[in-house]
Amino acid sequence: MKIVLDRPRCEGHGLCEEAAPQLMHLDDDGELVLDIETVDDVLLEPAKAAVRVCPVAALRLA
Amino acid sequence: MGPKRIVVVGNGIAGLTASDSLRAAGFDGELTIVGDEHHAPYSRPALSKAALLDSEDMTSHQLPAATHEAHEILGVGAARLDAGKKVLHLDDGTGLPFDGLVIATGSRARRLGAAGNPGNYDGELTLRTLEDALALRRRLAGQPSVVVIGGGALGMEIASGCLAVGCEVTLVSQELPLTNQLGPYLSGVFLAAAVRHGLKLAPSSAAQLRSTGGGPAGGRTVVTLADGSSLEAELVVSAVGDVPNTEWLASSGLLTGGRLEVDTRGRVRPDIIAAGDVAAFPTARGIQRVPLWTSAIEQSKAAALALLGGDGAPALDFKPYFWTEQFGLSLKASGFLPLAGAPDYLDGDPHDGPSLMRWSHREGSGTAVAINKRIPIPKLRRLSEAAPEVASPAA
Ligand SMILES: Cc1cc2nc3c(=O)[nH]c(=O)nc-3n(C[C@H](O)[C@H](O)[C@H](O)COP(=O)(O)OP(=O)(O)OC[C@H]3O[C@@H](n4cnc5c(N)ncnc54)[C@H](O)[C@@H]3O)c2cc1C
Ligand code: SF4
Repeated sequence: MKIVLDRPRCEGHGLCEEAAPQLMHLDDDGELVLDIETVDDVLLEPAKAAVRVCPVAALRLA
Repeated sequence: MGPKRIVVVGNGIAGLTASDSLRAAGFDGELTIVGDEHHAPYSRPALSKAALLDSEDMTSHQLPAATHEAHEILGVGAARLDAGKKVLHLDDGTGLPFDGLVIATGSRARRLGAAGNPGNYDGELTLRTLEDALALRRRLAGQPSVVVIGGGALGMEIASGCLAVGCEVTLVSQELPLTNQLGPYLSGVFLAAAVRHGLKLAPSSAAQLRSTGGGPAGGRTVVTLADGSSLEAELVVSAVGDVPNTEWLASSGLLTGGRLEVDTRGRVRPDIIAAGDVAAFPTARGIQRVPLWTSAIEQSKAAALALLGGDGAPALDFKPYFWTEQFGLSLKASGFLPLAGAPDYLDGDPHDGPSLMRWSHREGSGTAVAINKRIPIPKLRRLSEAAPEVASPAA
Protein backbone atom coordinates (compact mmCIF):
# COMPACT_ATOMS: atom_id res chain seq x y z
CA MET A 1 0.00 0.00 0.00
CA LYS A 2 1.00 3.58 -0.49
CA ILE A 3 0.89 6.47 1.95
CA VAL A 4 -0.65 9.51 0.31
CA LEU A 5 -0.22 13.00 1.72
CA ASP A 6 -2.74 15.72 0.98
CA ARG A 7 -0.23 18.50 1.39
CA PRO A 8 -2.54 21.54 1.52
CA ARG A 9 -4.37 19.89 4.41
CA CYS A 10 -1.29 19.11 6.46
CA GLU A 11 -0.90 21.56 9.31
CA GLY A 12 2.47 20.31 10.38
CA HIS A 13 1.30 18.93 13.69
CA GLY A 14 3.80 16.14 13.35
CA LEU A 15 1.69 13.68 15.31
CA CYS A 16 2.22 11.27 12.42
CA GLU A 17 5.98 11.51 12.78
CA GLU A 18 5.66 10.67 16.41
CA ALA A 19 3.62 7.58 15.54
CA ALA A 20 5.87 6.41 12.70
CA PRO A 21 9.29 8.10 12.74
CA GLN A 22 10.61 5.35 10.45
CA LEU A 23 8.25 6.51 7.68
CA MET A 24 8.10 10.29 7.82
CA HIS A 25 9.52 13.43 9.37
CA LEU A 26 8.99 17.16 9.43
CA ASP A 27 11.92 18.96 7.85
CA ASP A 28 13.48 22.12 9.20
CA ASP A 29 10.76 24.22 7.60
CA GLY A 30 8.08 22.09 9.19
CA GLU A 31 7.12 20.47 5.90
CA LEU A 32 6.22 16.82 6.16
CA VAL A 33 8.50 14.52 4.21
CA LEU A 34 7.45 10.95 3.47
CA ASP A 35 10.69 8.98 3.70
CA ILE A 36 8.97 5.79 2.70
CA GLU A 37 5.81 5.91 0.62
CA THR A 38 5.21 2.30 -0.33
CA VAL A 39 4.74 0.16 2.75
CA ASP A 40 5.06 -3.60 3.00
CA ASP A 41 3.44 -5.84 5.63
CA VAL A 42 6.01 -4.96 8.27
CA LEU A 43 5.51 -1.22 7.88
CA LEU A 44 1.75 -1.37 7.46
CA GLU A 45 0.96 -1.11 11.18
CA PRO A 46 3.07 1.99 11.82
CA ALA A 47 1.66 3.48 8.61
CA LYS A 48 -1.87 2.88 9.84
CA ALA A 49 -1.00 4.39 13.21
CA ALA A 50 0.36 7.51 11.54
CA VAL A 51 -2.66 7.89 9.30
CA ARG A 52 -5.00 7.46 12.23
CA VAL A 53 -3.44 9.98 14.56
CA CYS A 54 -3.57 12.90 12.12
CA PRO A 55 -6.43 15.10 13.35
CA VAL A 56 -6.97 16.70 9.97
CA ALA A 57 -6.86 13.50 7.91
CA ALA A 58 -4.05 14.75 5.72
CA LEU A 59 -2.76 11.22 5.31
CA ARG A 60 -4.40 8.18 3.82
CA LEU A 61 -3.46 4.72 2.64
CA ALA A 62 -4.27 3.80 -0.92
CA MET B 1 -6.27 -17.17 27.98
CA GLY B 2 -7.18 -13.82 26.53
CA PRO B 3 -10.71 -12.74 25.67
CA LYS B 4 -12.53 -14.28 22.69
CA ARG B 5 -15.36 -11.79 22.38
CA ILE B 6 -14.67 -8.09 22.83
CA VAL B 7 -17.35 -5.41 22.74
CA VAL B 8 -16.36 -1.75 22.28
CA VAL B 9 -18.88 0.87 23.43
CA GLY B 10 -18.46 4.21 21.68
CA ASN B 11 -17.42 4.84 18.10
CA GLY B 12 -15.22 7.93 18.52
CA ILE B 13 -11.46 8.14 18.19
CA ALA B 14 -10.99 6.21 21.45
CA GLY B 15 -13.21 3.31 20.37
CA LEU B 16 -11.62 3.30 16.93
CA THR B 17 -8.05 3.39 18.25
CA ALA B 18 -8.78 0.67 20.79
CA SER B 19 -10.23 -1.53 18.04
CA ASP B 20 -7.27 -0.92 15.73
CA SER B 21 -4.84 -1.57 18.57
CA LEU B 22 -6.54 -4.83 19.57
CA ARG B 23 -6.21 -6.07 15.98
CA ALA B 24 -2.63 -4.82 15.67
CA ALA B 25 -1.76 -6.74 18.85
CA GLY B 26 -3.07 -9.92 17.28
CA PHE B 27 -6.62 -10.18 18.61
CA ASP B 28 -8.48 -12.18 15.99
CA GLY B 29 -11.63 -13.00 17.96
CA GLU B 30 -15.07 -11.49 17.64
CA LEU B 31 -14.98 -7.69 17.78
CA THR B 32 -18.20 -5.67 18.02
CA ILE B 33 -18.48 -1.88 18.17
CA VAL B 34 -21.62 -0.22 19.47
CA GLY B 35 -21.97 3.50 18.77
CA ASP B 36 -24.97 5.75 19.08
CA GLU B 37 -23.82 8.08 16.31
CA HIS B 38 -24.72 6.97 12.80
CA HIS B 39 -21.39 8.01 11.31
CA ALA B 40 -17.99 6.49 10.98
CA PRO B 41 -15.62 8.14 13.48
CA TYR B 42 -14.56 11.66 12.56
CA SER B 43 -12.20 14.30 13.87
CA ARG B 44 -13.89 16.46 16.48
CA PRO B 45 -10.96 18.91 16.71
CA ALA B 46 -11.57 19.81 13.07
CA LEU B 47 -15.19 20.78 13.81
CA SER B 48 -14.23 24.01 15.55
CA LYS B 49 -11.36 24.83 13.18
CA ALA B 50 -11.13 24.16 9.44
CA ALA B 51 -14.63 22.65 9.26
CA LEU B 52 -16.27 25.96 10.18
CA LEU B 53 -14.45 27.57 7.26
CA ASP B 54 -14.62 24.80 4.64
CA SER B 55 -16.33 26.17 1.58
CA GLU B 56 -19.21 24.19 0.04
CA ASP B 57 -18.73 20.68 1.37
CA MET B 58 -17.40 20.11 4.82
CA THR B 59 -14.57 17.57 4.58
CA SER B 60 -11.96 18.60 7.13
CA HIS B 61 -13.34 16.27 9.77
CA GLN B 62 -13.21 13.10 7.71
CA LEU B 63 -10.89 10.33 8.81
CA PRO B 64 -9.63 7.47 6.66
CA ALA B 65 -11.79 4.35 6.65
CA ALA B 66 -11.29 1.88 9.49
CA THR B 67 -9.51 -1.40 8.88
CA HIS B 68 -10.36 -3.36 12.04
CA GLU B 69 -13.19 -5.29 10.37
CA ALA B 70 -15.32 -5.22 13.47
CA HIS B 71 -19.03 -5.87 13.47
CA GLU B 72 -20.48 -2.38 13.84
CA ILE B 73 -23.82 -1.62 15.47
CA LEU B 74 -24.36 2.07 14.80
CA GLY B 75 -27.21 4.35 15.75
CA VAL B 76 -27.87 2.24 18.84
CA GLY B 77 -26.80 3.18 22.35
CA ALA B 78 -25.67 1.10 25.30
CA ALA B 79 -28.40 1.36 27.92
CA ARG B 80 -27.04 -0.65 30.83
CA LEU B 81 -24.12 -2.84 31.79
CA ASP B 82 -24.46 -6.00 33.82
CA ALA B 83 -20.82 -6.27 34.86
CA GLY B 84 -21.41 -9.41 36.96
CA LYS B 85 -23.02 -11.45 34.17
CA LYS B 86 -20.83 -9.72 31.56
CA VAL B 87 -23.69 -8.63 29.36
CA LEU B 88 -24.13 -5.25 27.69
CA HIS B 89 -27.76 -4.22 27.21
CA LEU B 90 -28.57 -1.96 24.28
CA ASP B 91 -31.35 0.60 23.78
CA ASP B 92 -33.15 -1.70 21.37
CA GLY B 93 -33.36 -4.50 23.94
CA THR B 94 -30.48 -6.61 22.59
CA GLY B 95 -28.08 -8.16 25.08
CA LEU B 96 -24.46 -8.59 24.02
CA PRO B 97 -22.37 -11.03 26.06
CA PHE B 98 -18.64 -10.33 26.19
CA ASP B 99 -15.46 -11.47 27.87
CA GLY B 100 -13.67 -8.18 27.24
CA LEU B 101 -15.28 -4.73 27.27
CA VAL B 102 -13.95 -1.37 26.08
CA ILE B 103 -15.72 1.69 27.47
CA ALA B 104 -15.19 4.64 25.14
CA THR B 105 -18.40 6.66 25.33
CA GLY B 106 -16.64 10.01 25.50
CA SER B 107 -18.40 13.08 26.77
CA ARG B 108 -20.99 15.58 25.62
CA ALA B 109 -21.30 19.33 25.75
CA ARG B 110 -22.47 20.80 29.03
CA ARG B 111 -25.42 23.11 28.45
CA LEU B 112 -26.46 26.21 30.33
CA GLY B 113 -30.13 25.92 29.52
CA ALA B 114 -32.91 28.34 30.19
CA ALA B 115 -33.92 29.93 33.44
CA GLY B 116 -35.75 27.32 35.49
CA ASN B 117 -34.96 24.68 32.90
CA PRO B 118 -31.29 23.89 33.23
CA GLY B 119 -29.70 21.98 30.40
CA ASN B 120 -32.54 22.64 28.01
CA TYR B 121 -32.99 25.66 25.81
CA ASP B 122 -33.54 25.35 22.07
CA GLY B 123 -31.75 28.53 21.16
CA GLU B 124 -28.47 27.42 22.73
CA LEU B 125 -26.14 25.85 20.22
CA THR B 126 -23.22 23.72 21.38
CA LEU B 127 -20.46 22.15 19.31
CA ARG B 128 -19.65 18.52 19.92
CA THR B 129 -21.03 16.44 17.07
CA LEU B 130 -21.04 16.52 13.30
CA GLU B 131 -24.72 17.54 13.40
CA ASP B 132 -23.82 20.42 15.72
CA ALA B 133 -21.16 21.59 13.26
CA LEU B 134 -23.52 21.38 10.29
CA ALA B 135 -26.18 23.30 12.20
CA LEU B 136 -23.68 25.96 13.20
CA ARG B 137 -22.43 26.32 9.62
CA ARG B 138 -26.01 26.71 8.40
CA ARG B 139 -26.68 29.45 10.92
CA LEU B 140 -23.38 31.22 10.23
CA ALA B 141 -24.17 31.43 6.52
CA GLY B 142 -26.63 34.22 7.38
CA GLN B 143 -23.90 36.14 9.27
CA PRO B 144 -25.94 36.55 12.45
CA SER B 145 -24.77 38.51 15.47
CA VAL B 146 -23.19 35.98 17.82
CA VAL B 147 -22.63 35.62 21.53
CA VAL B 148 -20.21 32.86 22.47
CA ILE B 149 -20.32 31.80 26.10
CA GLY B 150 -17.14 30.31 27.55
CA GLY B 151 -13.56 31.52 27.29
CA GLY B 152 -11.88 28.13 27.00
CA ALA B 153 -10.06 26.90 23.91
CA LEU B 154 -13.29 25.71 22.29
CA GLY B 155 -15.20 28.95 22.93
CA MET B 156 -12.32 30.98 21.56
CA GLU B 157 -12.01 28.78 18.45
CA ILE B 158 -15.72 29.14 17.79
CA ALA B 159 -15.51 32.90 18.27
CA SER B 160 -12.59 33.03 15.88
CA GLY B 161 -14.47 31.00 13.26
CA CYS B 162 -17.57 33.20 13.58
CA LEU B 163 -15.49 36.35 13.13
CA ALA B 164 -13.76 34.83 10.13
CA VAL B 165 -17.07 34.35 8.32
CA GLY B 166 -17.99 37.97 8.97
CA CYS B 167 -20.15 37.88 12.10
CA GLU B 168 -20.07 40.35 14.92
CA VAL B 169 -18.99 38.35 17.97
CA THR B 170 -19.08 38.95 21.71
CA LEU B 171 -17.41 36.46 24.03
CA VAL B 172 -18.78 36.04 27.53
CA SER B 173 -16.15 34.71 29.88
CA GLN B 174 -15.81 34.87 33.62
CA GLU B 175 -12.02 34.63 33.63
CA LEU B 176 -9.79 36.23 31.07
CA PRO B 177 -10.11 33.85 28.10
CA LEU B 178 -7.77 30.85 28.15
CA THR B 179 -6.36 31.68 31.59
CA ASN B 180 -7.55 28.41 33.05
CA GLN B 181 -6.27 26.41 30.10
CA LEU B 182 -2.99 28.12 29.26
CA GLY B 183 -2.17 30.52 32.09
CA PRO B 184 -2.06 34.32 32.18
CA TYR B 185 0.93 34.85 29.89
CA LEU B 186 -0.44 32.98 26.87
CA SER B 187 -3.93 34.25 27.63
CA GLY B 188 -2.53 37.73 27.05
CA VAL B 189 -1.00 36.69 23.74
CA PHE B 190 -4.27 35.22 22.45
CA LEU B 191 -6.41 38.00 23.81
CA ALA B 192 -4.35 40.61 21.97
CA ALA B 193 -4.79 38.69 18.72
CA ALA B 194 -8.52 38.21 19.37
CA VAL B 195 -9.10 41.90 19.98
CA ARG B 196 -7.13 42.72 16.82
CA HIS B 197 -9.52 40.46 14.93
CA GLY B 198 -12.50 42.37 16.32
CA LEU B 199 -13.64 40.18 19.21
CA LYS B 200 -15.68 41.98 21.85
CA LEU B 201 -15.42 40.79 25.41
CA ALA B 202 -18.04 40.64 28.12
CA PRO B 203 -16.12 39.76 31.27
CA SER B 204 -18.80 38.03 33.26
CA SER B 205 -20.37 34.68 33.84
CA ALA B 206 -23.53 34.12 31.85
CA ALA B 207 -26.41 33.47 34.15
CA GLN B 208 -29.48 32.84 32.06
CA LEU B 209 -30.72 32.44 28.53
CA ARG B 210 -34.16 33.30 27.23
CA SER B 211 -35.62 34.14 23.86
CA THR B 212 -37.41 37.24 22.76
CA GLY B 213 -40.61 36.66 20.77
CA GLY B 214 -40.64 34.58 17.62
CA GLY B 215 -39.34 31.38 19.19
CA PRO B 216 -35.71 30.55 19.78
CA ALA B 217 -34.93 29.85 16.14
CA GLY B 218 -36.59 32.90 14.65
CA GLY B 219 -36.16 35.45 17.42
CA ARG B 220 -33.16 36.62 19.33
CA THR B 221 -31.71 35.24 22.50
CA VAL B 222 -31.17 37.34 25.57
CA VAL B 223 -28.19 36.41 27.71
CA THR B 224 -28.47 37.74 31.23
CA LEU B 225 -25.09 38.28 32.83
CA ALA B 226 -24.11 37.87 36.46
CA ASP B 227 -24.25 41.63 37.14
CA GLY B 228 -27.82 41.78 35.86
CA SER B 229 -27.00 43.41 32.54
CA SER B 230 -27.85 41.58 29.35
CA LEU B 231 -26.70 40.92 25.81
CA GLU B 232 -28.82 40.08 22.83
CA ALA B 233 -27.81 38.13 19.77
CA GLU B 234 -29.29 36.22 16.88
CA LEU B 235 -27.13 33.23 17.69
CA VAL B 236 -25.85 31.99 21.04
CA VAL B 237 -23.23 29.27 21.17
CA SER B 238 -22.05 27.95 24.50
CA ALA B 239 -18.79 26.13 25.17
CA VAL B 240 -18.85 25.64 28.89
CA GLY B 241 -17.21 22.30 29.37
CA ASP B 242 -18.06 18.66 28.83
CA VAL B 243 -19.85 15.98 30.82
CA PRO B 244 -18.64 12.35 30.62
CA ASN B 245 -21.20 9.89 29.22
CA THR B 246 -21.43 7.54 32.20
CA GLU B 247 -25.21 7.39 32.80
CA TRP B 248 -25.45 3.93 31.23
CA LEU B 249 -22.95 2.71 33.84
CA ALA B 250 -24.97 4.00 36.81
CA SER B 251 -26.04 0.53 37.98
CA SER B 252 -22.86 -1.27 36.88
CA GLY B 253 -20.98 -0.83 40.15
CA LEU B 254 -17.99 0.43 38.17
CA LEU B 255 -18.27 4.13 39.06
CA THR B 256 -16.36 5.64 42.00
CA GLY B 257 -18.15 8.71 43.29
CA GLY B 258 -19.76 9.11 39.88
CA ARG B 259 -16.43 8.87 38.04
CA LEU B 260 -15.10 6.09 35.88
CA GLU B 261 -11.58 5.58 37.21
CA VAL B 262 -8.98 3.37 35.60
CA ASP B 263 -5.50 2.18 36.59
CA THR B 264 -2.24 3.06 34.83
CA ARG B 265 -3.12 0.51 32.13
CA GLY B 266 -6.62 1.84 31.50
CA ARG B 267 -8.33 -0.96 33.40
CA VAL B 268 -11.47 -0.63 35.48
CA ARG B 269 -10.96 -4.33 36.24
CA PRO B 270 -8.98 -6.96 34.32
CA ASP B 271 -11.65 -7.60 31.68
CA ILE B 272 -13.00 -4.04 31.39
CA ILE B 273 -10.99 -1.10 30.10
CA ALA B 274 -11.94 2.53 29.54
CA ALA B 275 -10.27 5.25 27.49
CA GLY B 276 -10.81 8.72 26.08
CA ASP B 277 -12.92 11.58 27.38
CA VAL B 278 -15.04 9.28 29.57
CA ALA B 279 -12.16 7.97 31.69
CA ALA B 280 -10.30 9.45 34.66
CA PHE B 281 -6.78 8.06 34.73
CA PRO B 282 -3.65 8.50 36.86
CA THR B 283 -1.42 11.35 35.64
CA ALA B 284 1.53 13.11 37.24
CA ARG B 285 -1.08 15.57 38.52
CA GLY B 286 -3.49 13.04 40.04
CA ILE B 287 -6.41 11.00 38.72
CA GLN B 288 -8.22 13.12 36.20
CA ARG B 289 -9.94 13.19 32.86
CA VAL B 290 -7.83 14.73 30.10
CA PRO B 291 -10.43 15.19 27.37
CA LEU B 292 -8.07 15.76 24.45
CA TRP B 293 -7.34 14.07 21.14
CA THR B 294 -3.86 12.62 21.71
CA SER B 295 -4.81 11.73 25.27
CA ALA B 296 -7.69 9.62 23.92
CA ILE B 297 -5.37 7.93 21.42
CA GLU B 298 -2.60 7.18 23.91
CA GLN B 299 -5.00 5.90 26.54
CA SER B 300 -6.74 3.64 24.03
CA LYS B 301 -3.51 2.07 22.82
CA ALA B 302 -2.27 1.31 26.32
CA ALA B 303 -5.63 0.01 27.51
CA ALA B 304 -6.11 -2.27 24.51
CA LEU B 305 -2.76 -3.93 25.18
CA ALA B 306 -3.66 -4.41 28.85
CA LEU B 307 -6.99 -6.01 27.94
CA LEU B 308 -5.03 -8.65 26.03
CA GLY B 309 -1.78 -8.81 28.00
CA GLY B 310 -2.72 -7.86 31.57
CA ASP B 311 0.06 -6.68 33.86
CA GLY B 312 2.63 -7.64 31.25
CA ALA B 313 1.46 -4.76 29.06
CA PRO B 314 3.31 -1.44 29.38
CA ALA B 315 1.71 1.19 31.62
CA LEU B 316 0.57 4.44 30.04
CA ASP B 317 3.36 6.96 29.94
CA PHE B 318 1.12 9.99 29.54
CA LYS B 319 2.68 13.07 28.01
CA PRO B 320 0.22 15.91 27.55
CA TYR B 321 0.00 17.44 24.10
CA PHE B 322 -2.36 20.27 23.23
CA TRP B 323 -2.91 22.46 20.22
CA THR B 324 -5.30 25.19 19.20
CA GLU B 325 -5.81 27.42 16.18
CA GLN B 326 -7.57 30.75 16.49
CA PHE B 327 -7.28 34.40 15.50
CA GLY B 328 -4.36 33.68 13.19
CA LEU B 329 -2.36 31.93 15.91
CA SER B 330 -1.51 28.26 15.87
CA LEU B 331 -0.25 26.92 19.18
CA LYS B 332 1.28 23.58 20.07
CA ALA B 333 2.16 22.71 23.65
CA SER B 334 3.98 19.71 25.03
CA GLY B 335 3.76 19.31 28.81
CA PHE B 336 1.34 20.22 31.54
CA LEU B 337 -0.84 23.31 31.34
CA PRO B 338 -1.73 26.00 32.52
CA LEU B 339 1.54 27.85 32.88
CA ALA B 340 2.46 30.23 35.67
CA GLY B 341 4.66 33.25 35.06
CA ALA B 342 6.61 34.24 31.98
CA PRO B 343 8.55 31.83 29.76
CA ASP B 344 12.14 31.48 28.70
CA TYR B 345 12.24 32.53 25.08
CA LEU B 346 14.02 29.99 22.93
CA ASP B 347 13.19 31.74 19.71
CA GLY B 348 11.15 34.79 18.67
CA ASP B 349 8.46 36.74 20.51
CA PRO B 350 4.87 35.44 20.47
CA HIS B 351 3.45 38.95 20.13
CA ASP B 352 5.41 39.37 16.95
CA GLY B 353 5.73 36.36 14.65
CA PRO B 354 6.76 32.75 15.20
CA SER B 355 8.09 31.83 18.62
CA LEU B 356 9.25 28.98 20.76
CA MET B 357 9.03 29.17 24.55
CA ARG B 358 9.62 27.00 27.58
CA TRP B 359 8.33 27.04 31.11
CA SER B 360 10.12 25.08 33.85
CA HIS B 361 8.12 23.22 36.47
CA ARG B 362 9.28 22.42 39.96
CA GLU B 363 9.80 18.70 39.27
CA GLY B 364 12.44 19.58 36.67
CA SER B 365 10.23 18.84 33.70
CA GLY B 366 8.78 21.65 31.67
CA THR B 367 6.32 22.69 29.03
CA ALA B 368 7.43 23.74 25.57
CA VAL B 369 5.12 25.92 23.48
CA ALA B 370 5.41 26.84 19.81
CA ILE B 371 3.27 29.57 18.29
CA ASN B 372 2.97 29.92 14.51
CA LYS B 373 6.05 27.80 14.19
CA ARG B 374 6.09 24.42 12.52
CA ILE B 375 8.12 22.11 14.68
CA PRO B 376 8.18 18.32 14.88
CA ILE B 377 6.39 17.14 17.98
CA PRO B 378 9.21 14.82 19.04
CA LYS B 379 11.43 17.89 19.10
CA LEU B 380 8.88 19.89 21.08
CA ARG B 381 8.67 17.00 23.53
CA ARG B 382 12.43 16.89 23.93
CA LEU B 383 12.44 20.60 24.64
CA SER B 384 9.75 20.20 27.27
CA GLU B 385 11.49 17.35 29.02
CA ALA B 386 14.88 18.87 29.75
CA ALA B 387 16.04 22.45 29.76
CA PRO B 388 17.97 22.92 26.51
CA GLU B 389 21.68 23.46 26.97
CA VAL B 390 22.10 25.45 23.81
CA ALA B 391 19.05 27.31 22.60
CA SER B 392 20.23 27.35 19.04
CA PRO B 393 17.29 27.56 16.64
CA ALA B 394 18.99 25.14 14.30
CA ALA B 395 19.37 22.47 17.01
C1 LIG C 1 -15.36 21.01 18.74
C2 LIG C 1 -14.25 20.30 19.44
C3 LIG C 1 -12.93 20.71 19.26
C4 LIG C 1 -11.88 20.05 19.87
N1 LIG C 1 -10.61 20.47 19.65
C5 LIG C 1 -9.57 19.81 20.20
C6 LIG C 1 -8.22 20.21 19.96
O1 LIG C 1 -7.96 21.19 19.27
N2 LIG C 1 -7.22 19.48 20.51
C7 LIG C 1 -7.48 18.40 21.28
O2 LIG C 1 -6.53 17.75 21.74
N3 LIG C 1 -8.73 17.99 21.54
C8 LIG C 1 -9.79 18.68 21.03
N4 LIG C 1 -11.08 18.26 21.29
C9 LIG C 1 -11.29 17.08 22.16
C10 LIG C 1 -11.21 15.76 21.37
O3 LIG C 1 -11.96 15.88 20.21
C11 LIG C 1 -11.73 14.65 22.26
O4 LIG C 1 -10.85 14.52 23.35
C12 LIG C 1 -11.82 13.31 21.55
O5 LIG C 1 -12.60 13.39 20.41
C13 LIG C 1 -12.37 12.25 22.52
O6 LIG C 1 -12.60 11.06 21.87
P1 LIG C 1 -13.48 9.92 22.57
O7 LIG C 1 -13.50 8.82 21.59
O8 LIG C 1 -13.02 9.68 23.95
O9 LIG C 1 -14.95 10.54 22.75
P2 LIG C 1 -16.06 10.91 21.65
O10 LIG C 1 -15.39 11.44 20.44
O11 LIG C 1 -17.03 11.73 22.38
O12 LIG C 1 -16.67 9.51 21.26
C14 LIG C 1 -17.56 8.81 22.07
C15 LIG C 1 -18.62 8.19 21.19
O13 LIG C 1 -19.45 7.35 21.99
C16 LIG C 1 -20.80 7.60 21.69
N5 LIG C 1 -21.62 7.23 22.85
C17 LIG C 1 -21.86 7.96 23.97
N6 LIG C 1 -22.66 7.29 24.81
C18 LIG C 1 -22.94 6.11 24.22
C19 LIG C 1 -23.73 4.98 24.59
N7 LIG C 1 -24.36 4.91 25.77
N8 LIG C 1 -23.80 3.95 23.72
C20 LIG C 1 -23.14 3.99 22.53
N9 LIG C 1 -22.38 5.02 22.14
C21 LIG C 1 -22.29 6.07 22.96
C22 LIG C 1 -20.82 9.07 21.36
O14 LIG C 1 -21.97 9.42 20.63
C23 LIG C 1 -19.55 9.20 20.55
O15 LIG C 1 -19.74 8.86 19.21
C24 LIG C 1 -12.15 18.94 20.71
C25 LIG C 1 -13.48 18.53 20.94
C26 LIG C 1 -14.53 19.20 20.31
C27 LIG C 1 -15.95 18.75 20.56
S1 SF4 D 1 -0.25 14.59 11.73
FE1 SF4 D 1 -1.34 15.27 9.90
S2 SF4 D 1 -1.24 17.49 9.94
FE2 SF4 D 1 0.27 16.70 11.33
S3 SF4 D 1 2.18 16.62 10.14
FE3 SF4 D 1 1.23 14.62 10.06
S4 SF4 D 1 -0.01 14.72 8.22
FE4 SF4 D 1 0.48 16.82 8.71
